[in-house]
Formats: sequence, C-alpha cells, structure tokens
Amino acid sequence: MKSSLRLMLAASVGVGLTLPAIAADPIKIGVIAEVSSISGAAIPNAAKLAADEINAAGGVNGRMIEIVEYDDHNSAADAVRAFQRAASQDHVHAVIASYVSEVVLALEPWSGRLKMPMITPGAASDVISHRVHEDYAANKYTFHGYMASTFLSDSVCDGVKAIAGPLKLKNAVVMSEDAAWTIPLDAEYLKCLPKIGINVMDHIRLSPDTTDFTPIYNKIEGLKPDVIITGISHVGVQPTVQWHDQQVPIAMIGISSQATSSTFYKDTNGAAEGVIYQTISAPDVGVTPKTLPFVKAYEKRYNITPAYCGYTTYDEVYFIADAIKRAGGTDPDKIVDELEKTSYVGTIGKVEFYGRDSEFTHAIKVSPEYIGGMLVQWQGGKQVTVWPNDIANAKIKFPGYIKTGTN
Amino acid sequence: MTNRKSFAAIAAVLFALALLPFGVSGYVLGLLTLGFYTAVFAMSWDLLFGFAGEVNFGPSFLIGIGAYTAALLNHYEHWPIWACVVTGGAASIVAGLVLAVPALRLSGPYFGLVTLVAVLMLQNIIVLFAGITGGEIGLDLPDVLSIDDSNNYWIALTFMGISGAILFGLSRSAVGLILQASGQDAMQAAALGFNVTKHKLAAFCISALFSGLSGAMLIFYEGTVSVGTVVDIAVGVQVIIAAVLGGRRTILGAALGAIFLIGAGELLRPLGEASTFVVSAIALVTILFVPGGFLGALLHGEKR
Amino acid sequence: MKLLQILIDGFAISSLYGLGAIGFTLIFGVSGVLNLSHGSIMVTAAIAAWVIAGDLGLGPYGGAAGGVAMAVALSLLTYMLVVRPIQTSSRIAREEKEIFVLTGTLLWGIMIQEAIAYLFTSNPKTVRPLIPGVIEILGVRTPMQEILTAVISWVVIGLLWLLVNRTKAGKVLLAASINPRGLTLLGFELPQIYFWVWALYGLLAGIAGLLLGAFLGVSSDNVGQLTASAFSIVVLGGLGSVTGSLIGAYVVGYLETITAYSGGPSIRTIPVLLLLVLVVYIRPQGLLGRR
Repeated sequence: MKSSLRLMLAASVGVGLTLPAIAADPIKIGVIAEVSSISGAAIPNAAKLAADEINAAGGVNGRMIEIVEYDDHNSAADAVRAFQRAASQDHVHAVIASYVSEVVLALEPWSGRLKMPMITPGAASDVISHRVHEDYAANKYTFHGYMASTFLSDSVCDGVKAIAGPLKLKNAVVMSEDAAWTIPLDAEYLKCLPKIGINVMDHIRLSPDTTDFTPIYNKIEGLKPDVIITGISHVGVQPTVQWHDQQVPIAMIGISSQATSSTFYKDTNGAAEGVIYQTISAPDVGVTPKTLPFVKAYEKRYNITPAYCGYTTYDEVYFIADAIKRAGGTDPDKIVDELEKTSYVGTIGKVEFYGRDSEFTHAIKVSPEYIGGMLVQWQGGKQVTVWPNDIANAKIKFPGYIKTGTN
Repeated sequence: MTNRKSFAAIAAVLFALALLPFGVSGYVLGLLTLGFYTAVFAMSWDLLFGFAGEVNFGPSFLIGIGAYTAALLNHYEHWPIWACVVTGGAASIVAGLVLAVPALRLSGPYFGLVTLVAVLMLQNIIVLFAGITGGEIGLDLPDVLSIDDSNNYWIALTFMGISGAILFGLSRSAVGLILQASGQDAMQAAALGFNVTKHKLAAFCISALFSGLSGAMLIFYEGTVSVGTVVDIAVGVQVIIAAVLGGRRTILGAALGAIFLIGAGELLRPLGEASTFVVSAIALVTILFVPGGFLGALLHGEKR
Repeated sequence: MKLLQILIDGFAISSLYGLGAIGFTLIFGVSGVLNLSHGSIMVTAAIAAWVIAGDLGLGPYGGAAGGVAMAVALSLLTYMLVVRPIQTSSRIAREEKEIFVLTGTLLWGIMIQEAIAYLFTSNPKTVRPLIPGVIEILGVRTPMQEILTAVISWVVIGLLWLLVNRTKAGKVLLAASINPRGLTLLGFELPQIYFWVWALYGLLAGIAGLLLGAFLGVSSDNVGQLTASAFSIVVLGGLGSVTGSLIGAYVVGYLETITAYSGGPSIRTIPVLLLLVLVVYIRPQGLLGRR
C-alpha cells in the first residue's frame, strides 16, 4: 500500500514562475510532475532551463515562454485537478506531464476533453499512443515524448545481445515492478530475450510498496541465473541497496529509472556500483552536439545531473516552442498539426513522431537514426556508457561479489 | 441562535453559493466542487463520531467501496453514471454493515484499529488485483458528470445541500439525541431503555450511504478513480481533520472545515511543497487552542 | 535451507519491530497515549543519521548518535508541544481527550513527514551500515548489518529490562503505568515521570528507526505504515504490556516473513491484518493485555 500519511490536499500545489513583465502575452507551458522524487523534479527543472534559454534568445516571435509548475504528488487525481487548473484558470497553451504512466493515462482523456496539447517526457506505457491510434479524433492532443515500453525492452535486448558473449549470459530472471508501464515491457522482454538466445528462467513482478527484497533475491539466487533483467522506476534505492548489502552475486541490467540521476549513488551509499541501466542520454556522452552543453548547464544550475526525463523535457519545451512558432499562434488544433510535423534534433537524438498509420501514433520514433538506447553503468560513483560500442567510453566492470561473467 | 434564524442564514449562504458561477473563475468553482464532496465525507463522519461517539479511522473504507464499485461498473459494464452511483452507495451500506455489526461491540482504540485495518485491507485488495482495479494509481472512467465547471459545481452544491440537510436533520432529531446520549454514556443510555447498538448501527449505515454516494460522485467529477483519492489513509485523515477543525457534533461545522482545508491548500499554493506542512500546523494549533472548532467557537463563544 | 533463511530473516525483522513497538506501548502504559507520530520519529532518526553521516561528513557513528539524539529531541517536543497541552487543557472534555491526542499527534506526524519530504525529498535513504559485509550462517549468506540489527535490538531490550526491574527509576516507571494516581500520593511528580518516559521512548524509537534505515532503507512515505505496524503489534500483544508487544512483534515478523517467502512479497501484510481482526474480536485485550 502507498503508506504516505500525507495530507492529500486537494489543490494541486505548485509554484508559478513569474517572469518580468513583457509586452506580448507570454506562451504558457504547464508542467505537472511529482516534485519530491528524483525523476519528477527533473521535469520542471529542465523545462525552466529551456524556457530561460529561449527567452534569453528573444522568445518565440517576441513572446516569452512562461513555465507554470504543478506538483501532482504522484496522484492521478491531483494531476487531473492540476490539468484542469492549467486549462481553465492559468490558460496554458500546452502541458508537459509526469513520468508515471498511470498519471498520464488519467490525463489523456482530459487532454481531449479540454483540447489541450499534452506531451509526457517520461511515461512509457504503450497504451498512451495506442489510444491515440484507436481514437484519433478524441485523443490526438496527446503526444508520447519518451520511448514506449516495448521499445525500451527491445533496446535492453539489443544491449544485452551485444554484451552477452563476454559476460557469458545464458539464463535470466526478469524482475519488474507491478505498474502499467511494465505490462508491455515484460511482454516484450519475454519475447525478445529468447530471440537473442537468453533463456528466461522466471518472471517476477513485485509490488511497488515492497520494502524488504530479501525473499525475492533469495528466490532468484536459487534459480542461479546469470543476470537479472530489471524493469523498475517507482522503486530503486531499496532494491539496489539490499542487492548490494546481501551481496547477491548476479548482475542487474535493464530499466532502473532512479539510477539515471546522479543523486542515486549518494542515496544508495554507493550500493549502485555495478548497476547497468538502459537510457537514451547519458551525462558523459554527446549523443548530439546539444547533449553535453545541456548537462553542463543543468549541473551548474541544480548541482546534479538530470534524470532521464530531464533530457526529454528540455527538448520538448524547444520543439513545442517551434511548433507554436510554425502554427503562428496557440490554437490547439494547429499546435497538434505542427507537433506532428516535428523533426527536431535535441539532446536525445532526432525527434519525430509516428503517424496515424502506426499503432504507436504520436510516440517518438525509435531507431538508431532517430532515438536509440544505450547502456550506462555506475562505476566508482560515475555514470559511464558501456554500449553501444561506437559511443562507449568504458568497459563493463562489476564489484567483487558479482559472479556474472566469471564462471 | 434560534433554529429559524440559523435556517435563514444557511439558506442565504446556499443561495449566495448557487450564484457564484456567475462571478468567479472556473478553477475556484472546481476547488469548491471538490470541497463540497469532501464536506459530505466529513459530515458523514461527524454523524458517526460526533454523535455516536465512535472513533472511526476508516471513513475512506466506506468512501472507497462506493467509489470503486461505481468505477468498476462504469469502466467494465458501461452502466450509466446514476446507476453506478446508486449501486456504489448501496455497496457502501453493505460494507458498512459487515464492518459495523461485529465492530460495534468494541470500544475506544480497538474500534479505531479495526476501522483502520479495514482501510488497509481494502487498499491491499485493490493493489493485489491491480489487473482489474488499476492498482495503486487507478482506473480512468469513460464517463464524467460534465466537463463544464459551472455544471459540476451546481451538481456538487445540490448534492451537498441535500446530504447536509438529511444528516443535519437526523442529528437534531430524537435519533440524534439518543446517539449523543449513548456516545457520552452508553450505559446510562441503555439503562433508559434505548437500544444503543441499533441506533449506532443506523448511524453507521447512514454514514456509509452518504460516504459511498459522495465517493462515487467525486470520481465521476474527476474522471478517474485511485487509491490516493478515495482509499488512502490520508483521505480519511483529511476527513477527520476537517470535522475536528470545523467543530464536532455540529455536522455543518464539518462541512465548513472541509471547504476550509481545500481552500487553504490553494491559498498556500505559492509555498509549493511546504503547503501541506502549513495546513497541518494550522489544524494542530486550532485543535490545541480552539478545541471546539470554528463552528464551536462561533456558536458558543468559549464555552468551557 | 529455506527454513533457516526464514528463521534468520524473520528474527532480524521481528527484533526490529519489537524495539519499535516497546516504546509505543510504554507510552500507552504510563500515560494512556497512543502516539500516532511514531513513524515520523523513527524515520527522522534514520534520515538525520543519513544527513549527518554523509552531508556533514561525521561518519556512520556520528550519524547514528546524531540520529538518535534527534529522535529523543523530537519525542520530547511531541510531548511538550502536543500531548501535554491537550492533557492539561481545561477546554477539552475528559472523554474527548483521546480523540484530541490521536488527531493532534497525527497532525504533528504529518508535519514532520512533510518537512522531511520538503527538505530531503521522499526518495528512500539508507543509513550507512555500521559493519558492512556478509557472513555465512550454516550456508545462509547473511549481511552483518542484519545480525547487528538483531543484536543491538536485544541489547537495548535487555538494558530496558534491567532499567525497569533493577533500578529505582525503573520501578517508579512501572508503578506509574499501574497506578499513576497512587504515585502522586507518594510525592512523585507525574509530569516529570512523563518527561523521562518520553525521552526513553524517543531513544527506543530512534534506535529502531536507525536500524531500519540501515537494514532496509526508509523514506518519508513509510511513516504511516510504520505507525500502523506498531499500533497493530501492541494491540496484538496487549496495549501497555511490554512482554506482550515483544511476543506480538515476533508473531507479526515471522508471519510476514513466512508469507513473503511462501506466498510472495506482495501479500506480505495480509495474513497479519486478518490475524489482527481475529484477535481483536476474540480477545480484544490482546495476548497479554489487561483491561
């Protein structure tokens, strides 16, 4: 159970960032996220950074960009209220919302009802874009600005295939949290792992409320797999620390959203050492010429490296601004039309959206040519890229207690 | 204040509230809409605690049963909204009976604990059957009451008005007096020949009915149902704080407290994440220094 | 093998639960207060230790000391700012004090929880273990921290037993929990006794929080669950009974561990909740409670 005794205040609580008074009406972008979590905090942070840069360069057709922040406390209901407020009170022109699939799925019908263009920088569930495909007229205002779960699994499988030889990976256990985004993720894991010659011995789904992972690791260890393939986002610190403290001798590779932030090492007291996670941008690799300057500016301003959805949010503010520029105004239907035509090279690669013919309508295109995945490992307190080989800057290295690759 | 005068005052306030959509923005209406549904939760709780003297930690058990029953029927069976809401209310009564019949033998912290456990069980079950219920974060609903802020507001206001009138009327009737007597001294009330348990059971059922109805209405306003909005202990805590803050045993005070809590959260929005802290602090200071709550202070001055 | 594993894991977690619940039941026994800010005090100890050991660079021992000190201070504040004003208020009717203390400590707990989330985010933190590493017990690889958790818990429980049974202060404490009125007639100042009980409670809750933080990690989101768990354990064992709470802690700890190993971690707490309901209906005074 979610055991927060937090007083669920009905009102979405956020801070409106007011910019100095300017002549033309500002373009307002609402940002809805859970501010007290690592991944969530990166969303408003990156959005403000992008907005300030655009404004410093003269804005969009002379109009400044104003970011209006809302904290959704990771609650779908708070997010819906924030969305309603953004539309009817604050009159924002587009919304960047959440890294949690359940929250985005709850907002999706509202984006249609209120005709409010919305894009998610971090939620993964395939259902987000499938809904756009199935009922385009109602859901066309929603865009999926992050890899859909199926693509995430494929990306992990591509990476694992490349490193399976030297690490002698043959048998795997899939361990993921019980959430909307992991349903398609796991389904694809179970399909793609056997295709690359990895036998899936077991498939464990754990409750996001789990605090004691000992029984899970015990069960996994009993099966003697070579690798644990992860799908975790709401949990992260605790399973990693317990994996380390109990010296579970099996490597963890896969999606681990919290591990993408630089504070993860400190939060886990260094237990993160050796964890390998899939991502679309890393702080040490220039995926595009824009990546490293962004990481630098973000670190300078916030003292940490951006979590994965920081990169996507930063790009989204830019291409939403471009779409509004091309649309010549803020009519929602025109913004949607222009967003569909987006072809923008950002920090994560080249952003384009799948069209109506794809079942992933309005999701970002995934392929090496557009946006590809990479594997990053925590080594000596730093995040280093270990795959793909053309951009890798380190070799995979595990702490002593991990036996993967040694037998 | 005489009954006639207070009736006139309440009617005037309700009338003024009904005119609000012509003057204020959509978001204020949305906030009040939410406040009105929360007010019904708090009034229902007050009937049970304030008058029947039971420390019920589980208002969100009753709210949650009503809300999830309605949500599942709408999501999977596509029943019309009104049928879902009515069934939700009925389900809450049944759940309330299952909980209350054995629990009412208990007293003090034991009753409190059982109601708390009921909430935790419901939460566990919802999370365990995530495939059907949507788990922790919830299920979105195909239907909503209305997407127009003013309509939503009027629906909620009407609902609160009717519920409030029934709950208030009940608390001032003979039944209310017997409940109050039994809450203060169950032994004596029983000695006077009143069937205390029967009256408490009736209070529990009525509390359950309105909690369930309001929970179901709320989710059709928001278009989504989740543990965080209708089941989490935090929801129950908010209801309890609203009632204590507004003044227990007044029914209307509970409504006042609920609307205050929702409003204060919004006024404190510029504080960002710290706003919850400030609202809790205000509530704590209020119960320490003005234990009678807003309405208690207003009606009786400093009575004790 | 699995049985041994359950035995070892269950023992560590149960000892921890026991330590957390003893303070809770002590306060109830002596002053009749159910402190619903219990979880917040435990979490504060762990987070404070994390900050002091890491950000302030005082190392694991400095962190542990600072964390426990924070818990004691916070516990005393709880008593002086929240509980005592309600107990002595002339404006709150006697039969309503209970709900006021419950609501008051609940609000206080939320304030602490929100303050932690605001200052340090709601992400789980782990206290640096005092002794890192693992050892093998009959083939079961066990983290040293887990053994340390059980050992420290039992040392503290042992010291508490000595305090209560072998010292004058302890006997006063015991007397206060049995008959506070009688004690005042003997010339003891109740407020002073309460003060020390709350300090002792802070110490126990602080150590428990710290150990939990090092063993499993804690976040401000765990506050409610920790309070509910302590509440359940003491009701199971009998409100006000220290021995009962310890037994209750082991029943809960082992039931959870067995469930987690055999049925899966996601249904971990359900059998406990069912047992609790059963006990409350059949024997509301708990295993060893007095009425």
